[in-house]
Amino acid sequence: MNDVTRRDFLRYSGAVGAVLGAGGLSTIAQAQEVLKIGAVYVSPVAEIGWTKQHSLGVEAIKAAFGDKVELTVIDNIFMPQDAERIFRELASAGNKLIFGTSFSHGTPMQKVAPRFPKVAFEHCSGIVHLANLGTFEAKYYEGTFVAGAAGGYMSKSGKIGFIGGFPIPDIVGPANALLLGAQSVNPNATCNTIFLNSWFDPGKEKEAAKTLLSQGCDVICSMTDTATGVQVAGEGGAWSIGYASDMAKFGSGKQLTAFVLDWTSDYVGAAKAVAAGTWKPEVRWDGLAAGVVKMAPYNDGIPADTKAKLKQLEADIGGGKVHPYGGELKDQDGSVKVAAGSVLADDDIRGMNWFVKGMIGKLS
Amino acid sequence: MRVAAPILATILTVVVGSIFFASLGHDPLATLYAFFVEPLSSMNGLSEWLLKASPLILIACGLAVGFRANVWNIGAEGQFTMGAIAASGVGLFWPNPESVLLLPLMFVAGMGAGMAWAAIPAFLRARMNTNEILVTLMMTYIATLFLSYLVHGPWRDPAGFNYPQTALLPAAALLQSFDPAYRLNSSIFITVAAVILMWLFTDRSFLGYKMSVSGAAPLAARYAGFRESAAVWIGLLAGGAAAGIAGMAEAAGPLGQLSPQISPGYGFAAIIVAFIGRLNAFGIVLGGLLMSLLFLGGEGVQMTLGLPSAMTRIFQGFLLFFLLAADFFIFYRVRLVRPIRDAHALETAR
Repeated sequence: MNDVTRRDFLRYSGAVGAVLGAGGLSTIAQAQEVLKIGAVYVSPVAEIGWTKQHSLGVEAIKAAFGDKVELTVIDNIFMPQDAERIFRELASAGNKLIFGTSFSHGTPMQKVAPRFPKVAFEHCSGIVHLANLGTFEAKYYEGTFVAGAAGGYMSKSGKIGFIGGFPIPDIVGPANALLLGAQSVNPNATCNTIFLNSWFDPGKEKEAAKTLLSQGCDVICSMTDTATGVQVAGEGGAWSIGYASDMAKFGSGKQLTAFVLDWTSDYVGAAKAVAAGTWKPEVRWDGLAAGVVKMAPYNDGIPADTKAKLKQLEADIGGGKVHPYGGELKDQDGSVKVAAGSVLADDDIRGMNWFVKGMIGKLS
Repeated sequence: MRVAAPILATILTVVVGSIFFASLGHDPLATLYAFFVEPLSSMNGLSEWLLKASPLILIACGLAVGFRANVWNIGAEGQFTMGAIAASGVGLFWPNPESVLLLPLMFVAGMGAGMAWAAIPAFLRARMNTNEILVTLMMTYIATLFLSYLVHGPWRDPAGFNYPQTALLPAAALLQSFDPAYRLNSSIFITVAAVILMWLFTDRSFLGYKMSVSGAAPLAARYAGFRESAAVWIGLLAGGAAAGIAGMAEAAGPLGQLSPQISPGYGFAAIIVAFIGRLNAFGIVLGGLLMSLLFLGGEGVQMTLGLPSAMTRIFQGFLLFFLLAADFFIFYRVRLVRPIRDAHALETAR
């Protein structure tokens, strides 16, 4: 995990000295009383969605620290070449803890972090760790498995529809778990998939949702940064599953549940560790048990005994009794990927780039 | 008057912007300072300013060669992408990753790919009279999807958890920055050379003159025997070459690898830069520096004053709007024309 050699360390220390000499000294002096924290968002904060959930984490820091913290938030930074400049500026402005919230922030953070060895960097959805770069991520697949089970109980056609932003492991894995959840209650369930190649394209997403409805899907789950999938499903009389935020008010009363992301513990935990001087780069990857993934209130249309079963499933996954990727798992061609009795290894979950049997669609 | 327009636009922007910031409860002077002065008050800021302006100026120079001849290359974004793809392909797969020839080869590959991508609309326009605005624009989407295919498929980093990005380029394929503490690299010299070349071509060469004539008066140009197809080819290839080189410099510079999105809209922003610079080499330099400063300033006020990014974009819009509006009112006179009420009044008036 830690690839910094002594020579690297000396070289970067020199670079840091140069930066401090270039005008960082005054900011360091101020920073002693108040903890300065920076956060970089990939999009503006909206009513719902990915960035909204991160902003709740940042607000939780504010609530926990009050005047003891000074927060700087930069939004709408997606491109790596811009992100690198922002991370560098936040670090040289005396921020002691800096959050990146998008996969595209990864390479820039890896370039900037070694130059500021005293600054703690936290990267959400990252895969690379350095001496002062930690990552945090949610086990989305635990949420989609439970939501998929809800869909499996309520679907009449046994056809689930899934809309994804990009065919990356963070999305492909949860899509598989969605179907596996549905198959856990209805073995014949299938899942039609459409990828938008965009996180935010309501027009395209609307078309995709309508296509899925016309293919006979009566439960729709959309992992993008909008509520369009939930909305179109509700208007078409189909069930829906929300992602990141509770989207019940967009779903015409048809949102079964949502798998909500709650990063509060990650944000506040990192801030407290930095304040106490105990921060270490960690690989935090939590789900239902830690409350990073939470199920939104179940729809009143779900029978009470089914709700109880879903609650039990949440507890079983959180407690480790049920693993969403427990064998036997077959891929689309029917060849066995995980044998009965074993579970998919963590690294294979995080790099999942294949569809399980019953998924309809291609990973292009 | 041509000089007065930008000054007038700047004054109007400062006045309206001050009212705008004051109405949001921010000290206008402090905001303007954070917007325009603070980003340039450190070495790092200056380095970032030039780093961001460089591709804009480079692409705008290439585009302006065509725009002067009414050849509308809107697809620099696609040519930029193809240049970055070709250059990264050489950087990633050249048999000897430590070869000193790597960067020159990447330069040639990037330029060639940008030109090749622009040659398709040039051929279609010159031979079949298709509309190059539409073709170049649509070729941009093809280039973006091709990039997406490569990074999701054959070029995906084998050690990258299946995420859609290539491996990092080897060290010999990266443009070295002047100082390890800053990101500005030697690609700035390419931009300087492009500006000089463009000035020589448009202001000092007969070919450049012919192209300006075919832009200003197509019929006169045809009458004088200037071939329209030559203007089309030169205009599009110049834009493609510049955008391809900019793509190479971005891949070998700040990026260091390919991912599904590599351009923060440089190809499109360069169109604005070309027009702010009035299609003139030195105007384009100023235009590119201005666009880059607007961008850094927008981030700066977010960082120091906590203004949301939407507000800074509105302010950027003010400046561009006033700049173009000032131009319009300098070149056109507004006359109020009263509608004719009845024919009798018209008769008696005579």
